Amino acid sequence: MNKHLFQFIALARQHRVAAALLFLLVFPFLMPYDALSVNILIFGLYAVGFNLLFGYTGMLSFGHAAFLGVGSYLAGITVVHAGWPWWAAILAGVAASSLVGLVIGFLAIRTRGIYFSMVTLALGQIVYYVFYKADHWTGGENGLRGVKVEFIDLPGISINFLDPLNKYYVIYVFVALALWFLSRVLSSPFGAVIEAIRENEKRAAACGYDVARAKLLVFVLSAGICGLAGTLRALHLSVVPIDSLHYLQSGQAVMMCLLGGMGTFFGPFVGAAVFLYLEDVVTNLTRYWMGVVGIVFMVFVLFFPKGLWGTLLHQLERWQGRQGGAA
Amino acid sequence: MLDISPQLFALQLMTGIALGAIYALLAIGLSLIFGMLTVVNFAHGAFFMVGAFLGVHFLGITGNFWFSLLLVPLATGAIGLVCERFLVRPLYGRGIDYPLLLTFGLSYVLIDVMRFAFGIEGLPSSTPAALRGSVSLGFGHFPLYRLFLIGATAAIVLALWLFIEKTRYGLIIRAGSRDPEIVRVLGIDISRVWLLVFGIGTAIAGLSGLLAAPTRAVNPEMGIPILAESFVVTVVGGMGSLPGAVVAGLLVGIVFAMTSLVAPEYAELSIFVLMAVVLLIRPQGFFGKAGLMS
Amino acid sequence: MSSTPILEVRHASRFYGKFKALSDVSVSFRAGELTAIIGPNGAGKSTFFNVISGGVPPSAGQVLFQGQDITGIAPHEFARLGIAKSFQITNVFKHLSAHENVRVALQMQTTRFQLLRPRSHYRELIERADTLLARVGLQACRDKLAGDLAHGQQRSLEVAMALACEPKLLLMDEPTAGMSPEETLVMMELIRRLAQERTVILVEHKMKMVMGLCSRLIVLHHGELLVDGTPEEIRNNAEVKRVYLGQG
Repeated sequence: MNKHLFQFIALARQHRVAAALLFLLVFPFLMPYDALSVNILIFGLYAVGFNLLFGYTGMLSFGHAAFLGVGSYLAGITVVHAGWPWWAAILAGVAASSLVGLVIGFLAIRTRGIYFSMVTLALGQIVYYVFYKADHWTGGENGLRGVKVEFIDLPGISINFLDPLNKYYVIYVFVALALWFLSRVLSSPFGAVIEAIRENEKRAAACGYDVARAKLLVFVLSAGICGLAGTLRALHLSVVPIDSLHYLQSGQAVMMCLLGGMGTFFGPFVGAAVFLYLEDVVTNLTRYWMGVVGIVFMVFVLFFPKGLWGTLLHQLERWQGRQGGAA
Repeated sequence: MLDISPQLFALQLMTGIALGAIYALLAIGLSLIFGMLTVVNFAHGAFFMVGAFLGVHFLGITGNFWFSLLLVPLATGAIGLVCERFLVRPLYGRGIDYPLLLTFGLSYVLIDVMRFAFGIEGLPSSTPAALRGSVSLGFGHFPLYRLFLIGATAAIVLALWLFIEKTRYGLIIRAGSRDPEIVRVLGIDISRVWLLVFGIGTAIAGLSGLLAAPTRAVNPEMGIPILAESFVVTVVGGMGSLPGAVVAGLLVGIVFAMTSLVAPEYAELSIFVLMAVVLLIRPQGFFGKAGLMS
Repeated sequence: MSSTPILEVRHASRFYGKFKALSDVSVSFRAGELTAIIGPNGAGKSTFFNVISGGVPPSAGQVLFQGQDITGIAPHEFARLGIAKSFQITNVFKHLSAHENVRVALQMQTTRFQLLRPRSHYRELIERADTLLARVGLQACRDKLAGDLAHGQQRSLEVAMALACEPKLLLMDEPTAGMSPEETLVMMELIRRLAQERTVILVEHKMKMVMGLCSRLIVLHHGELLVDGTPEEIRNNAEVKRVYLGQG
């Protein structure tokens, strides 16, 4: 029995994208209501983008809300102010967030370690204040309203985007693309460079790698993925709240990533699911959600730093090792 | 060019210095904790907020501002001691990000604890009776309280400098920040030192909150932008540097105040732009990289 | 034979505040030599090593590689130029396997920014990594985590990684540090073989080891160049004796 289980796990790990997508395909049927599933999918993608920088490369950014927010706002602005179709809005959002990622990354990478976390937080706040002030375009304090995409028109069919389940599967397509891309990058030679940098930056430089350049590239990729999550969020909510850009939103990515399991492929989704499900339950019981999540987060930092998924994987590996089971 | 009289300019400069004093205190607390423990206290803004709340609360109970001035830093320092001992210390071997993450979670808890204790609206705060009114500075009238702020901060900075530079315990702190091994070899319990420094750092944060309370709205969210602003000061001045914290704090305060004069909507943005510029030309900050206090 | 020295250090100094770690040191190395930098503790050996390997730029003076001024260039440029180093304190990727360690080092030459093709497709890299591992005698430990290897094996792994960029100049900082006598002999033999194909500069404080191994010794003392000569010359030099025996 065990042997089959191990074989199954090995297969899933080898084809991690397919395994993840298969699970996400049926996910809505496991959740109490579809809007929650959509939220989890979107924020899972956000956490995945963040995880690329934090879990895989070891750079703790506290400014990733900037990319989520810029993605949302640019998608929203192109729809509201320029009447662009949904697909162009998504492209605009991803392009804009990648560009912002380039600029912020360039400035932030000049600093190291903990300094980096402080600097990214502060740079993210610049984006927040800029968008706050540009209220003609962004709606300022009230956020951007009226991002109405009711129908997804593809050649041949018109999907009713207002139906939550439809929404889920449209967004699912984009998440699938992003996960496939991420998996390719991680398995590529560049993926090894990322790992080397996380393991031992000095060593990587001694091997000849331009660490700053590599970090910048990862930063931009991470920003793009988070930007994609942002565009999808804008289309989902039909509004873009100004708080999307605030560092507390960045903190949410950090929390989801740690809760789920940083440096694992599927961990961020688990983290997003746990976080949002918990929020849903707790806010119905008490108004002190912030305190609850703070305590939960601290418990994880202290006792379960690998996160739920990471701990599970780790225990499976140990169990497998003891059983002498092999793939 | 805008119509600003020299008197208005000078008064606004003074306002900037008063604001800068608070920033300097915040940055000193952050730098102390970072220099000694290599921990960036992401709960620093929250401790500031707790200090403000406790300050208003004690003032309300006792009616005595000077008493609060003494009690509040002791209180926030004590909370800091407990947090270091039980929450931060277990994480020291792990990796530089973990204490940071923990303090971030801690900030969330502190915010909701204050909401629970004092309500979500916050508390009304006013200038203590003895310090109300304004003083004539020659070029205009300036609020007495703000003058007090500047003076109090200068006194605190001086006291801290004397403690660090001239006392035996201060020497241990300076030595410890440069070489924890040596301190251990000398038979000093380094963890006691860390505990104390964290406590001093949070005490200063609480004190700055108390001092700032009469000048702004006291609510559970007040520490949130403060955290970002203290990071700006730290980047500009250089992490782990006392003179850097003071100079950068004053500079940031003045930049904010002067921008408020000519382009008020861009005041908050201006200090972040200052930080971005410093990052471009001198990423380690003006006084950056040096040891704890040099 | 080329008259340009492969490495030339001109009046290099390195200050840390008022402390002169290295003071006006000038020395040149010809291609193919096996040289050791020796000296008592605090002589400036590590600083000298850092200056010629990119760890730290000199405060004054120049470093030239094959006639080209490389003073103050970024650390990652050194490997690209053909200067490889192994660290004094073992510095490998602890959570990667020995094979992966070497492959990361090899990748630098060809595919560093390749984003989309899986690593497993690069057959040639995999083979070359295995060849290098065999060179240093680690083929049996191919899939073991570098952090789990014995100390001597980790040092050998570092050498394999250094060889990945096909260096013309190999710099080794105390290559036998912390090794048992048996491991030291193995490393010495490896260094001897490597020196046949390229220029090698060692920093060492094990006198006996370098005496038998190197054709040239450079003695540093208090950051200055004291003596430069053959092992025979060094052995008989009164200054050197004083400096070493005079130490407490």
